[in-house]
Amino acid sequence: MKKINIKFFEVCKYLGEDIESEPCKLVKQHINECPDCSVYVDKIKKVVKLYRIVDNFDDIPADVDKKLFAKLNLSPKKE
Amino acid sequence: MEKINLKTEKQIVLKAQSGDRNALSSLVSLYENRIYHLALRMLGNEQDAEDILQETFMVMLNKIHQFEGNSSFYTWLYRIAVNLGLRLIKSRSPEKFNISLDDPDSEQIKNEVLSEWHEIDYEKIGHKHIRSKINSVLKELPGMYRTIFILRDLHGTSVKDTSKILNISESNTKIRLMRARNFLKEKLEKIVKEEDLL
Repeated sequence: MKKINIKFFEVCKYLGEDIESEPCKLVKQHINECPDCSVYVDKIKKVVKLYRIVDNFDDIPADVDKKLFAKLNLSPKKE
Repeated sequence: MEKINLKTEKQIVLKAQSGDRNALSSLVSLYENRIYHLALRMLGNEQDAEDILQETFMVMLNKIHQFEGNSSFYTWLYRIAVNLGLRLIKSRSPEKFNISLDDPDSEQIKNEVLSEWHEIDYEKIGHKHIRSKINSVLKELPGMYRTIFILRDLHGTSVKDTSKILNISESNTKIRLMRARNFLKEKLEKIVKEEDLL
């Protein structure tokens, strides 16, 4: 297995960049071959997924919306 | 969240800059949900989120004539909200940097396979106390790191736009995002075990 400096991770997706980019190809290859790195990246993906599930993008509460437009002295208008 | 047609947005912004109240209302309607969500995640409570929401749009009203269109409007607006949010975080409590925000090292990654998360039981995430625990971990991140995670991973903002919003380099954005994700992963290891999420 090709030895790789783990700091290389800094340039990659799930650690910051697009894994299809040229600098990441070596890292991607390494991740596929290295069980520990593969598990690490999988966990990072799951962390992001967990937060997306926990999170919700519900509309702001109606009273907050009302107070906002009143404060701005604007009439609510949906585009 | 609502998708915004950039051409339409540009026209609305131009009208708003000329003082059109309907256009200003449209911009508020287009962005209020995102700004509120961003502030809520950054600050962690509804009252602060509401304050930041109102302040952000007050600044927008007062300074929209200064927007030159060099960046997208949402980047400009987000920058206002993020700056207000970070300022509030800083004023509340000097941030403690005694938490580990190191890069993942070979030693740490060497043992990952021993604690693999095969399949997470995502249904359990619906339990209030688990959601609360997961959210509290996010609050432990220093404001800047938390904001980068929210922008990139929750709002889907590009590295380029995140850098512009935070006025830091793209490489700095990537490194901080990596550290934020790594920090959250380390903290979630414990929760995953405690709550038997596998």
